[in-house]
Amino acid sequence: MISLLTSNFHSFLVAFGYTLLSSIIALIASTVLGTLFAILQIVPSKTANVIARAYIEVFRNIPLLIIVMFFYLVVTKIVKIGGFTAGTIGLTLYTSAFIAETVRAGINSVGIGQTEGARANGLSSWQTLRIIILPQAFKIAIPSLGNQFINLVKNSSILAFVAGGDLMYTANNVAATTFDSFNSYIIVGIFYLIITLPLNYYMKFLETKLKGMA
Amino acid sequence: MVENNQDNMIQFVDVEKYYGHFHALKNINLTIKRGETVVLIGPSGSGKSTLIRAINGLEPIQEGHLIVNGYDLHDPKTDINKIRKRVGMVFQHFNLYNNKSVIENVMLAPRIVSHIPEEENEKYALELLDRVGLKDKAGSMPSMLSGGQKQRVAIARSLAMKPSALLFDEPTSALDPEMIGDVLRIIQNIAKDSDMTSLIVTHEMNFAQNVANRVIFMADGEVLEDSKTSDFFKKPKSVRAQQFVDQVQNH
Amino acid sequence: MEKAKKRKIGIISSIILTLLIIFGVVSASALAENNSKHVDTWERVKRLGKIRWGVKADTKLFGLMDTKTGQPEGFDVDIAKALTVQLSKQSGVPMQADFTIVTSNTRIQLLKNANIDGFIATATITPEREKVIDFSNSYFKAGQSILVKKGSGIKSIKDLNNFKSTIIGVAGSNSVINVKKFAPKAKVLALGDYGQAMAALKAGQGQALTTDNGILYGLATENPGYTVVGGTFTSEPYGVAFDNNQPEMVKQTNKALKAIIANGTYNKLIKKWFRGVPGLDWRSLEK
Repeated sequence: MISLLTSNFHSFLVAFGYTLLSSIIALIASTVLGTLFAILQIVPSKTANVIARAYIEVFRNIPLLIIVMFFYLVVTKIVKIGGFTAGTIGLTLYTSAFIAETVRAGINSVGIGQTEGARANGLSSWQTLRIIILPQAFKIAIPSLGNQFINLVKNSSILAFVAGGDLMYTANNVAATTFDSFNSYIIVGIFYLIITLPLNYYMKFLETKLKGMA
Repeated sequence: MVENNQDNMIQFVDVEKYYGHFHALKNINLTIKRGETVVLIGPSGSGKSTLIRAINGLEPIQEGHLIVNGYDLHDPKTDINKIRKRVGMVFQHFNLYNNKSVIENVMLAPRIVSHIPEEENEKYALELLDRVGLKDKAGSMPSMLSGGQKQRVAIARSLAMKPSALLFDEPTSALDPEMIGDVLRIIQNIAKDSDMTSLIVTHEMNFAQNVANRVIFMADGEVLEDSKTSDFFKKPKSVRAQQFVDQVQNH
Repeated sequence: MEKAKKRKIGIISSIILTLLIIFGVVSASALAENNSKHVDTWERVKRLGKIRWGVKADTKLFGLMDTKTGQPEGFDVDIAKALTVQLSKQSGVPMQADFTIVTSNTRIQLLKNANIDGFIATATITPEREKVIDFSNSYFKAGQSILVKKGSGIKSIKDLNNFKSTIIGVAGSNSVINVKKFAPKAKVLALGDYGQAMAALKAGQGQALTTDNGILYGLATENPGYTVVGGTFTSEPYGVAFDNNQPEMVKQTNKALKAIIANGTYNKLIKKWFRGVPGLDWRSLEK
């Protein structure tokens, strides 16, 4: 296993970079999108509510692979999209639907008194949401967001299906050239742990830190 | 159209309020002048809270006119935030911002709504906290305070916006008995200020007697009585009010 | 202070946990390698009375899933059936053929794990592969070529040797490794199977799809807008694969191959699968 790692170290390192990059982009973008659609679900506009609901239900209930394939094989005919981009976009949309639900649940569990207090104090509804409600909602949502983020990193292996150059793709190729699938997949498994374990630890740390601030 | 009298802080004209089929406020006609202190009493479910919450738009009304500081709340063109800047509210359950420190609770709205310079804002916030006896708690989080302390911060937060009127919705109902005195004393000091209009929903009859110019008695969504404080406590006009006062005082 | 200390303990214990997991996995894998001891395939298939063949299900003409019957069909599958009959005769033990679907990427591992006894799955005999598995004599002579869109102007692999070109292949196939020798400047994408690779070519993710000509002709019959160009630039002799160090199984298989060629079965199968494929001279494939 060690010799397999050292002789393919460069490939694994590049792949690790792609997986990390895709995960970071998708994490940030899906958090922003997810929060946006959580907000669209609670604003007093029927149209916005319906749009948000439709978005969430579509992307939450379709397999990630199909979303990715759609961008890789169909959307690319209109705008050129390579495997890495298609995979990262799919990952973002898919995860954002779950994050929207998580953030919405967080918003709902912040008491109505917080909104009334802020509105009676003269804050606009946007100020109330941004300064009072969302920070508290995120604090509540952190454990569940942590799960979403870890799933996101693992789901980034979907890039392999569209030749996205990620860890899984490289594992497939190394396995194919060395005929040692077993160790190839174990090596990339460990690379995934290098991302997910610190991420998990950081989310736990954030959770306890924010709890202290309550 | 309703006459807009500058002396009137709050004016209800034929106001009707429904929750679905439930008729919560029935034909309310009421005027509160600038600087007046009015106490609103009545059994639970009588519509007191609904009435007071309607004044700063937390409860929309379905019919009539509700004119606050010259703006009609029932007019869709009215910017409700203009009213809220001038009309503060103190809640039964305080509703402090749980994610902000005590002084941030006080300073937030003046900073982002009224754009008060930071230095002036902080000076005034500390002055207000001093007035409610909590200057030393400025850096604490709300979760570290007792109920009485929270309510005093909530009062300071309302005052920070320099309102023309303050609405108190059962400000002492959620407090332990030993906390009530401090909070009432602070409210009394505010009410004495002749420029401030105060409307207070309370069950504290002695307090009402001491502080109010007028007493309004409500039951089943209607205003049954609107009298000078001395007249009301000497001899309420309606039987319902008489029964209610007896019940509360014997309690 | 207290918090910083707790945090330090948290970080250290995470690192220890990670190292423990890595250590555990490494030792488990070492153990697994030791446990896979040598078993004689010929003895096993005689004892069980069946041969478990790995065949493809994504490759037209060689091994493609028939969606109506749910069974893989193709030249490789028929060769497996014919060999099973012949091996049965040679051993005197009645044997039946069992089929397991493999991909280019999984076939060697499945063989190593003894999930299958052998595979007939468009596998080219190469020196690298012969280090880890055994091959029979070649049963089919293929050569690598490229499939491009009609009217693309691409005439041969040479036209793709530039940094703008992307060539699509299938992960685990010999062709994605070879193509780098013939067009080193082009980008190579390896997809999961031929279905996905063809879809990617149609979507414009690359300018050409490369693999063995037999497979490309199969794809061309299904996709009339695409054509095989430039002839073959490698020689790809397909062999029947078995686990390492199986001299008896290989010997019996070579004998069986000779027999089905001699009795005309082989040429009948060539005719069955390759007659009528546009651009292919099926008679040249006969033995």
